Amino acid sequence: MFSLRSVVKRYAAGGTEFRLTLPRLDIAAGSKLAFIGESGSGKSTLLELLAMILHPTEATRFHFAPDPGGDSHDVAAAWQARDRDQLADFRRRHIGYVLQHGGLLPYLTVRENINLSRRLLGRDTGEAAARWADSLNIGAQLDKLPAALSVGQRQRVAVARALAHEPAVLIADEPTAAVDPLNAARIMELMVGLVDDLGVTLIVASHAHRLMENAGLELIDHSIASAGDNAMHVTVNHAVH
Amino acid sequence: MPSTETGARLVMGLAWRDFWHERLMSLCFVLALSAVLLPLLVLFGLKFGIVGNLLAPLKEDPRYRQVLPVGSARYDPAWFETMAARPDVAFVVPRTRAIAATLRLRVPDSDTGRIITAELVPSATGDPVLPEGNIPQGLDGVVLSMDAADKLGASAGTALEGILSRTLNDKAETVLVPLQVIDVAPAAAFGRDGLFVSHELMVAVEDFRDGRAVPAFGSGGSEPLGEARSFPGFRLYAATIGDVAALRAGLMAQGIEVRTRVADIELVNSLDLSLSIVFWIIAVIAALGFCLSFGSSVWANVDRKRREFSVLRLTGFHSSGIVWFPVLQAMLTAVIGWAVASAGFLAVQALLNGLFVDTIGGGESVCRLLPVHFLGALGLTLAAAIAAAALGGARIARLEPSLALREQ
Repeated sequence: MFSLRSVVKRYAAGGTEFRLTLPRLDIAAGSKLAFIGESGSGKSTLLELLAMILHPTEATRFHFAPDPGGDSHDVAAAWQARDRDQLADFRRRHIGYVLQHGGLLPYLTVRENINLSRRLLGRDTGEAAARWADSLNIGAQLDKLPAALSVGQRQRVAVARALAHEPAVLIADEPTAAVDPLNAARIMELMVGLVDDLGVTLIVASHAHRLMENAGLELIDHSIASAGDNAMHVTVNHAVH
Repeated sequence: MPSTETGARLVMGLAWRDFWHERLMSLCFVLALSAVLLPLLVLFGLKFGIVGNLLAPLKEDPRYRQVLPVGSARYDPAWFETMAARPDVAFVVPRTRAIAATLRLRVPDSDTGRIITAELVPSATGDPVLPEGNIPQGLDGVVLSMDAADKLGASAGTALEGILSRTLNDKAETVLVPLQVIDVAPAAAFGRDGLFVSHELMVAVEDFRDGRAVPAFGSGGSEPLGEARSFPGFRLYAATIGDVAALRAGLMAQGIEVRTRVADIELVNSLDLSLSIVFWIIAVIAALGFCLSFGSSVWANVDRKRREFSVLRLTGFHSSGIVWFPVLQAMLTAVIGWAVASAGFLAVQALLNGLFVDTIGGGESVCRLLPVHFLGALGLTLAAAIAAAALGGARIARLEPSLALREQ
């Protein structure tokens, strides 16, 4: 699915230089991974790199192969060429992304939010939204606006939208951090169930390692390797077994 | 790949849904736009209306285009041909000597038997003071001034008699010239008792008075003048009021002293110019302010929504879609705001014109705009909207989507 070699993201924030180094990161199709680390450890940065919404500072290799055995896309080259629309096409077709805080469009109903990713691909929407909503137990909320929903319900809508166009990979950044533990476990359970049914690769970032473990995800340590006053370096290594 | 048509329709739909979802905010933008656009429209309407009012009578009234010779000189037919050929001359005909250019008139079978003395005014096709089609012709077709028509009780179709007398070889002679009233001239054409006649009749009357033979009147006398004839004066009208000054200068250069209304025209022109300068100074400042205020509110609105735009990009919208979204919304605001301002203008216009209805003539308006002005305002508004929204949208599209997503 993903094959990265020597990918580095450097940025400065509040006088601190931050460096995320990925000497080798291979993620196989069908994996269910959770990057576990405390907040500020650059988990979001890693997910944003994988979701192609953050420009890597350096990349020897950054390949994305949405279909097992299919074509491999050179993401590093697309960034190099500043071809944002090609990256947008990758996202549209192959990636579902769940933000920590919903990221739903406030002016669309739940149904329309869920259908957005399908409509963008010109696909028939039909009863798709209702099916997704039912499988995430939000069937009764279909015609409401996001503002009328609880935080947990909004996260479920976000999951539905991220999966509705049947992507190759679902990326979720702290999808349950804003909801109560009971709800969090339920959402993870539903999400993993859907991902298993569809054969979608799942990549989650979270600080709650027990929750991820219970949901059956493979945990990857994403801890701060060295932290000083002015610099913070994180190195993540993961290879397919 | 979805077809671009689907993409465009999707963006249009989303832009509209957002506009409607935030309708209170959208209404504020619309009202803010109208509030700045309306005074600009009223200002332009006033400028256009007032100057139009000042200039309209000048443009329509041929008297402002008339060039009158002062004193008499000798103008031969070649001079008239040259003048008639000039593009800045609309109409020129020779005048005979003033002393010979009168005719006593009566209606032959009237009860009163009243006789008036009318001044003869030479006329021809294209006479700017007479309605088209009712031009004096031949030795009998004439047009009466309104004063003369009133005194004689004559109207179009009335048969008149011209009474001409002379003393030739110590013998008094009188001829009666049968005339037919073709038309009565508008009051503005000639303010006294006057008779518009053809060149032919004009010349015949002078010849008779000068003791020459006029076969048409059945009178004898000396030989006619023919080609050698010259005229002491002319009736001349410039093509437009703008031509009067140059025409006057040209005639003065020939040594011909003339009287014109050029001072009146210049007064109005300079008033127009001053008003235009004042207007344009205010208008340019106001239009700039309008573009800046509307542009910055559009820009701020785009910036306010950058997280939503980033969500769209995360979902896979192309950069063009991200730019079109705010552009479509700004266009919607522009069109509605323009429509509200235009409606407001029409109300203010009715109010102002009602207020000044006694001061200015009926049918005139102190404040008015042509459809093309409304379209111009729409164009300016749309241009400001599209420019600001496109710049704001392009800035958002260039940002890394992850940046705005991190903001809560």
